[in-house]
Amino acid sequence: MPVNDKFDTRLTAVAFDGAMRANVQGDGHIDAVLTGNKLSVTGSFTELPSAATTAKLFMGPAIGVPGDAVYVLTVAGGTDGSIKGGFTLNAKQIVALRRGHLYVQLNSQNAPDGNLWGWLMPEHPVAAADVPLPGHGFLPQVDVPGNWTEK
Amino acid sequence: MRFCKIHLTSAAIAVALLSADAVAQQSSAAGPFTAAQVTAGRAAYAVNCASCHEANLAGSGDQPPLAGASFMAVWGDRTTKAFYDDIRTAMPYGKAGSLDSITYQNIVAFILSANGAKAGPESLRPDTAVKISAIANGKIPADVARSSAASTDEEAGRPGAPMRLGQTLIGKIKNYAPVTNEMLVHPDPKDWLIYRGNYQAWSFSPLKQITDKNVGQLQLKWSWAMNEGGENATGPTVHNGIMFLANTSNTVQALDAKSGELLWENRLGPVAARAYSALRSLAVYQDKVYINATDAKLYALDAKTGKVVWETVIADSAKGFNETGGVIVAHGKVIVGLTLCRGQMPHCYISAYDAETGKQVWKFTTIADKGTPGGDTWNDIPDDMRAGGETWIAGTYDPELNTTYWGVAQSKPWMRASRRTGNAATLYGNSTLALDVDTGKLKWYYSHAPGESFDLDEVFERVLIDHGDQKTLMTVGKVGILWKLDRVTGKFLDARQTVFQNVYSGFDMKKGEPIYRPDIVNQKTNTWISACPSPAGGHDWPPTSYDQPNDLMIIPLGQSCNLMLGHDVAQHTGVVNAEGEEREFFMPGTDGNMGRLTAYRTSTMEPVWTFQQRSSFLTGVLSTGGNLACVGDYDRVFRCVQATTGKTVWTTRLPTVVQGNPISFSVDGKQYIAITTGLGGGSTIGKPSSMLSEVHHPDHGQALFVFGLPDGG
Repeated sequence: MPVNDKFDTRLTAVAFDGAMRANVQGDGHIDAVLTGNKLSVTGSFTELPSAATTAKLFMGPAIGVPGDAVYVLTVAGGTDGSIKGGFTLNAKQIVALRRGHLYVQLNSQNAPDGNLWGWLMPEHPVAAADVPLPGHGFLPQVDVPGNWTEK
Repeated sequence: MRFCKIHLTSAAIAVALLSADAVAQQSSAAGPFTAAQVTAGRAAYAVNCASCHEANLAGSGDQPPLAGASFMAVWGDRTTKAFYDDIRTAMPYGKAGSLDSITYQNIVAFILSANGAKAGPESLRPDTAVKISAIANGKIPADVARSSAASTDEEAGRPGAPMRLGQTLIGKIKNYAPVTNEMLVHPDPKDWLIYRGNYQAWSFSPLKQITDKNVGQLQLKWSWAMNEGGENATGPTVHNGIMFLANTSNTVQALDAKSGELLWENRLGPVAARAYSALRSLAVYQDKVYINATDAKLYALDAKTGKVVWETVIADSAKGFNETGGVIVAHGKVIVGLTLCRGQMPHCYISAYDAETGKQVWKFTTIADKGTPGGDTWNDIPDDMRAGGETWIAGTYDPELNTTYWGVAQSKPWMRASRRTGNAATLYGNSTLALDVDTGKLKWYYSHAPGESFDLDEVFERVLIDHGDQKTLMTVGKVGILWKLDRVTGKFLDARQTVFQNVYSGFDMKKGEPIYRPDIVNQKTNTWISACPSPAGGHDWPPTSYDQPNDLMIIPLGQSCNLMLGHDVAQHTGVVNAEGEEREFFMPGTDGNMGRLTAYRTSTMEPVWTFQQRSSFLTGVLSTGGNLACVGDYDRVFRCVQATTGKTVWTTRLPTVVQGNPISFSVDGKQYIAITTGLGGGSTIGKPSSMLSEVHHPDHGQALFVFGLPDGG
């Protein structure tokens, strides 16, 4: 299986202001594997401020840019729990996945419009904090460098 | 929302009233708060909030209005509980959560009443959840709209600042040696004569007594408590064993750089009530110390005594002008910028003053009006709606070209849908300016981000680096693009992305022009739009260092994103604010790490090493001839890494946030490294404050620390 058919993300707080902060805490992780056009998603979450309710796979126009829900994931547990799902992606969704435009959003009772989210990225080296690495170090900018015109 | 002070203007009152009228929809339902809460809340607001948001709640600069149409647009559909939670979590700015619950409740009650809500019999509680538009209409009571800035220190809420202004200690320095032009062009390695170390802004010390091999032996030699209050983001200047320090509240001090003994002190004032707006630097030239005060005055002090030799008004602070960026002295002129540029007429400018007399020599306006060069780059909006263009980082200087280089901040309002300027360049917002030092004449400019929309300044240090005969200028802004320009002609040479960003979907490397994401181009007001990085950068004010021996530019970087919503902005008001709301989130792919430090080889523009960490870096970088690069962070850590590898070789933990600009100097043959702790500030400290809930620091403890190797070692 090609390396870039594995994807993952950490789930962190959705975009928040002070009024939302208390309800969008918690942590989580998602792994996804693309086999042909079949996407398998598994993950877990912990320490939500309120019980998890729903989770969906979203597709946006760029990494870090919210978009529309495309699939519903299955959620189990309360403030700690798991997420899973399996889907058949169309060609456009596969392109979006490879560009990092798909993300998982987990909702909870006190944050029905989003508690945690994370953009699925091709697996890539992630250095531990304080460990210097060669190179620029930020995530594979799968949807931008190709658009940098050559001199 | 942020709590921080500027002077009220009649125009601001007009704005508030106009805004209120625009949304007036009379609501008769009694609010869920009492008159007593409003009274108490008004007093608490004056102490904790008015210095940023204005006494009449009109907002200022980056601080949003808390009454009127803009407030209702943001909060009308949300509840009183959400508003209470918001300010309890995030305010007062820089001291979030520091008030008791009752005080927060009272402040909410006052703000609701200031938006037309009527007091009733029930007290507002933390869990009171009433839709704000059901009780408030944004119509500001006349007495609130007429409110003026706090008139007393207590009302201004100054925390722990000196109570007495004026010169408290007159100096008797006898061994002072005047600073000549030659010294400034070729600084003695033992001095730190210019705010970034040299005219080129390298922040590099050739001293090599402290090295990556012995840095582990560093020990504290002396420290100096600094004023509390205000934003502390300064860096000392050292000449011939004397340290000159720009303390907060516009206090200038001279200290014995070896012993820490105070030699003179002049508390120029005004006292800092703001939680932001730092005095970032001062300058020394001949026998004088030059400093801009935050009320847009420029002072020359006698370097030996601290006495004021001359003072001049850069701009009228009663119109809201402010200055925080520091000064540079070049070819006998003191050059200074301006901040809080809110559409006042005339607009903000960079100006130069005769170093001996204080007489203004020239000024260059950083916002182009109709009929002036560049005036056709604002989509024909009225001159008094053209705002921003602040110069909040002092420039650099090339003596051979007799040219000073300045970055200009973004245009305002932040979002171009609010500005109504489309993709227009809005000159000279987010540009590099090359100005003749003697005349102020524009030699060239480079517009880095025409149509910028997210408070992503390109205002920071312009670093001057030569590669053989090629004279380059390098800079990196909030969006994180590292730029290389020909500093003789302004021609684009190269660019590299240094952090993840999604604002540009492409970049034309032939023209040196960014290509915006389509939804940014087509943006509308009152719509949330995502941007990475957030206004904390990418790169922000903590400056880079150029490690000249290794040709490495070492860049402190930030990793956070936000959603931003731009307000509709009324035309012809004469007062222009940022008009943007934010919701922040962690940058994708960072694993929650907000800080990054990366070294680029400037000849090739290739990254050499990088590392990330949970906390944001909040100091500039100092590199030294000892293969060290030193930097401090939000989690109170001050560290030195090997400049060539990024490997950490020494750390220490200081009392509070390490914020400022590290320097190195020597006295009597002994090398020292100095750094400040500091609080207050804008996005750079605001974002980690709200996002890193597990990182704690005292809300006081501003100080200067000086480290050295053990004596006799």
